Amino acid sequence: MEAIIHNLKLSWFSIKRAPLPYALTLLILSLGLGTFFSNATLYYWMNRDPIPEKSQTLFMARINSLPGDCTDCLEPSRVMSYMDMQKMSGSGITSAEAAMFSSDAYAKTLENQQATPAKVALRITQRDFFALFNVPFLYGEAWPDNKARMEVVISKNTAVKFFGRIDVVGQDMLLDDQLFKVIGVLDDWSMLPRLYDVNGRRSAEPTEDIYMPLETAYDLAIQSNTQNSFTDVDWDGNIATYPHMARTNFANMLQFWVQLDGPEKIQQYQQFLKNMVADEKAAGRHPRPEGNRLDNILDVQKAMRATNDQLDAFALVASLFLLVCVVNASHLSLNRYMANQYEFSLRRALGASRWQLQGQILADVFVSSALAFVAALLFARLGLWTINALLPGTRALASWDWQMLAVMAVFVSLVSYLVTLYPALKTSFSPLNQQLKQ
Amino acid sequence: MIKINNLSKIFRTDLIETHALRQINLQVNEGEFAALTGPSGSGKSTLLNVLGTLESFDEGDYLLDGRSVKGLSDRELSALRNEKIGFIFQGFNLIKDFSLFDNIELPLRYRGFSSAERKRRVEHALETVGLAARRDYHPSQLSGGQQQRVAIARAIAGEPRILLADEPTGNLDSLMARQVMELLEKINQQGCTILMVTHDPDQARRANRHIQIVDGQLNDATLYEPLIAAGA
Ligand SMILES: Nc1ncnc2c1ncn2[C@@H]1O[C@H](COP(=O)(O)OP(=O)(O)O)[C@@H](O)[C@H]1O
Ligand SMILES: [Mg+2]
Repeated sequence: MEAIIHNLKLSWFSIKRAPLPYALTLLILSLGLGTFFSNATLYYWMNRDPIPEKSQTLFMARINSLPGDCTDCLEPSRVMSYMDMQKMSGSGITSAEAAMFSSDAYAKTLENQQATPAKVALRITQRDFFALFNVPFLYGEAWPDNKARMEVVISKNTAVKFFGRIDVVGQDMLLDDQLFKVIGVLDDWSMLPRLYDVNGRRSAEPTEDIYMPLETAYDLAIQSNTQNSFTDVDWDGNIATYPHMARTNFANMLQFWVQLDGPEKIQQYQQFLKNMVADEKAAGRHPRPEGNRLDNILDVQKAMRATNDQLDAFALVASLFLLVCVVNASHLSLNRYMANQYEFSLRRALGASRWQLQGQILADVFVSSALAFVAALLFARLGLWTINALLPGTRALASWDWQMLAVMAVFVSLVSYLVTLYPALKTSFSPLNQQLKQ
Repeated sequence: MIKINNLSKIFRTDLIETHALRQINLQVNEGEFAALTGPSGSGKSTLLNVLGTLESFDEGDYLLDGRSVKGLSDRELSALRNEKIGFIFQGFNLIKDFSLFDNIELPLRYRGFSSAERKRRVEHALETVGLAARRDYHPSQLSGGQQQRVAIARAIAGEPRILLADEPTGNLDSLMARQVMELLEKINQQGCTILMVTHDPDQARRANRHIQIVDGQLNDATLYEPLIAAGA
């Protein structure tokens, strides 16, 4: 312990002897690390498994059922029609299944009707949504079935925002002037990335405020605010004008998620889709080639071609920048050690083994790491702040948990050691006699 | 206690080979105070560095206390330097940021002494060189002669068997040089073997043995001096 303090004291002396070059080395190093960390943070949040306890069992199902004969069209649409969703539901194979889309509305409470309505994010979905993604309830519960009903589940924050309290089950709410009853309040819940909503590239955004039954939304002609495509002719050639016939025409805006527990279920559901498509083709529908997709939740970004290329490009640039910074810092660090070479040689002459000099070098690394860690975090914050300002969709991705901080600390230490290693070796192995004579 | 046989040292650079030491044979006995003189570039410092194991050699052998230093590991060589050998340099080589106490304590740390033991030894060494009152001074607050005395204290604090001094008075005026010489003589009388490089013929005469080195080759002047003095 006393030896460690002694070594730290020596590190401090050597910094004090030439503070400017040291500060410069640290600045360069922490600039590189900070840039790297800010990108790594985004990258981490975007690419992590948001629901590790069941990610292996969650799948997004699609079929290639768009109208129009097109033999080259092998890729199914990202969103599907109500008709397809119905055929894919009720297989009896899934443990949970829910169709969904996102929308928005203006909300206010009955208690406070004079207030200007506030915009809220809606998730239009079915009963199993909450089971699929392990969404925790604080009060109340989900709808008992998938029927239309003027009932909503709201987030804790929404409850606080509109009612000023949390237990608001049974209260009424106006959504776009329709009266809804609150039947459930969710506990704090965030899913990052929100992989059930990648088609709008909004997976980095916070979870929605209000959850509304799918059938109700169709009754009220609510549309998706991210992706939809409509054609105005149904299978029988009848002109169908949206929205009132959205259940029967090609109003494509749904995603369909299923939970399949185990390879057997997956295989069964694939077969189910295959049979269904064969039936459809036999009935003169599904003109395009079969293109059934069952994408695991962790592959869904790739499958939807919704990976963030900007983020990848940033990450590459940040890594290269870090490399340049490390090389430069090593160079500066080498100069610093060369300037202190004399002292290393003196210690060797006085009987320090190379191993004992390592103690000194480790103390240097420790001091540098600690300082570089703090500085790198500051730069990373600055970087994240800038990125968030430029790309508002990344705002939810800027936080650090203890685990990330720990990984970053280890990373800084390794890089600091790397930067110090070559100079230190060079210094402790150089010939001794030249340094000590005048 | 020091015995070298046919020892040679060659410095090789890309362009030239310098034969700094050629086939040297030398024996230094326990308790001797030997002076090493010779022209500049003749290999004095190289010899001292080889003896101090700061420098390797190319041919021959070097036995310290009957044990060859060839093939010793870095750890063994470091321990040897730390325990058996004390160095004194022309340029003092004190660490500027350290107090006198810390400077003298440094080699004792590598030896793994407890802090109480280190304190005892540092204080004793400071007393020996007459600087006990200034233990918290920094080197820059001292005269050259005092700094060299601190360096001597550092060298003797570990109670080495042999002291290697490379022109210890080279940077000092004659008064200070004399004080340093007297100190070294005192240390020698307490039983420490000393090998000292010097340019000063008076100092060389005061030593009880005088070794000359010319162009990397030794010549033990002690053997001739009585003859010269006798007018032979
Ligand atoms: N590290 C070295 N590399 C190359 N040549 C050296 C080195 N050290 C000393 N020499 C050469 O070895 C010879 C002896 O040097 P040195 O022992 O320092 O002489 P002295 O101390 O007697 O003045 C000189 O020619 C010197 O140039
Ligand atoms: Mg010399």
